[in-house]
Amino acid sequence: MIAFENVGLRYGHGPEILKDLTFRIAPGSFHFLTGPSGSGKTSLLRLLLLSLKPSRGTISMFGEDVTNLERDRLLQMRRHIGIVFQEFRLLDHLTTFENVALPHRVRGQSEASYRANVQELLDWVGLGDKMDALPAVLSGGEKQRAAIARAVISKPDILLADEPTGNVDPELSERLLHLFDELNRMGTTIILATHELNLLRKFDYPRMLLEHGELTFHD
Amino acid sequence: MTEPRKIGWSRPTPIVPSQSVAGRTLMLLIGIMTFLSCVTFGGVLLVQKSAVGWSADVGREVTIQIRPLDGEVLESNLRLAVSIAEGVPGVSSAHALTLEESERLLEPWLGAGLDLSDLAIPRLVVVRLADPNAADIARLEREISAISGASLETHAAWRVQLNTMAGTIVVSGILVLALILVATALAIVFATRGTMSTNREIVDVLHFIGASNRFIAGEFQGRFLMIGLRGGIVGGVAAILFFIFISAAMSTVMPEQSSAQLGVLFGQFSLGVAGLLGIVGVVLVIAGLTAITSRLTVRRFLSQIS
Ligand SMILES: Nc1ncnc2c1ncn2[C@@H]1O[C@H](COP(=O)(O)OP(=O)(O)O)[C@@H](O)[C@H]1O
Ligand SMILES: [Mg+2]
Repeated sequence: MIAFENVGLRYGHGPEILKDLTFRIAPGSFHFLTGPSGSGKTSLLRLLLLSLKPSRGTISMFGEDVTNLERDRLLQMRRHIGIVFQEFRLLDHLTTFENVALPHRVRGQSEASYRANVQELLDWVGLGDKMDALPAVLSGGEKQRAAIARAVISKPDILLADEPTGNVDPELSERLLHLFDELNRMGTTIILATHELNLLRKFDYPRMLLEHGELTFHD
Repeated sequence: MTEPRKIGWSRPTPIVPSQSVAGRTLMLLIGIMTFLSCVTFGGVLLVQKSAVGWSADVGREVTIQIRPLDGEVLESNLRLAVSIAEGVPGVSSAHALTLEESERLLEPWLGAGLDLSDLAIPRLVVVRLADPNAADIARLEREISAISGASLETHAAWRVQLNTMAGTIVVSGILVLALILVATALAIVFATRGTMSTNREIVDVLHFIGASNRFIAGEFQGRFLMIGLRGGIVGGVAAILFFIFISAAMSTVMPEQSSAQLGVLFGQFSLGVAGLLGIVGVVLVIAGLTAITSRLTVRRFLSQIS
């Protein structure tokens, strides 16, 4: 599903943040991505989201070399990838329903065609009664559930999460992890960056550890 | 379970929030630019129309001037000039001004109650042309030269001057219009870039959930087209009101006579159908300019950041 081959990354003329990464990720798997702050977790996720190009090496996804994709193809690829951020990044002036429906809307679909789908998903993440609420009145956990719903509304094959529990209470973190777990059981490949030890202890997923620009796998 | 959402729900909230677009300021600016463009356009049109009309009026008439010379009988020379002129193709009528008519012409300059018979004043034959283009002016001039003291005044030099002046005003007007359009475009570029930077987070979010640049550009430039149209209409309506006001002011404030003269001069200040169409055209051009400029700016911004 994902294959990195001798991938290196540097920003501008700075030092190499990621050095010579070579690995494969199987479809349907769930990986924690850990490492100290500044070790390059976000950068690696941005490579996977195709919002950053590697300085060297090749990345292929879904069996296709994505290192030099043209814009249209890149857009199509990106629609198979969902992303969740630590800061939620919901649009503040849109309701929960509208935020979650956004991926449908940018594909030019009519509200009638996706309304039921969005409602069902909001019920599933437990936000059925908060559909018309603006992000400002939601708690951190609710915002993150809305963000997760937005990331998976168009049924991506890969779900990336960048410290999704960073702004959420520890008990709620666990409940969010159960959401990811269920999504994984339904077939979504998940890479979740975190450095929260309690989560790493509680959930027994294989870990990708980033340190000094190098990646090691721990099952 | 939750209540089903209302069917027939009104239009979705715009993805680009309206208060984040510097809409009102930009609309005012576009309104003012449209107003200036329309007034310039209207002014140019009036000058152009008046000059053409005036020039045509003057062109339909030539004047034969006969200076009194010793040993010549002025009255018979006048009659001869009239009959020569009437024999030339393209002339519709020729008429020698009587002494009284000449006096009346000179009255504003020399005062009432003057007696021209004491003065050696040239006498005039006014020749009206049926068709200025077909009239054989050269032949008229040749035949008239047989009369001693007679000369032909075609106002040609004067018309050239009038046309040059009108042409200069038209060219300046077009230049001013072009500059206004360029200034408007620049203002739109700045406003659009400002709006894009303000909404950078929205642009980024839209990008990572898989929105195409085309979609994002559409969300932004739809806003600008509306602003452009509204500003344009406000400016256009203001310009029409301005012209109505001016022409009303002309007919009430001004004494009747001078207003009539101004009317002759400026075609009654009425823009007519052509003028109204022109103003609508200016409004459309400015709205279109807004749409195209903001589209290009948005596209440039998006391709720069991705
Ligand atoms: N846009 C950028 N430009 C330059 N340097 C960056 C940029 N983003 C991240 N970095 C640098 O790359 C390194 C890794 O950052 P990041 O990927 O955010 O790590 P993590 O997510 O693990 O904290 C850091 O040293 C950071 O300063
Ligand atoms: Mg990070």
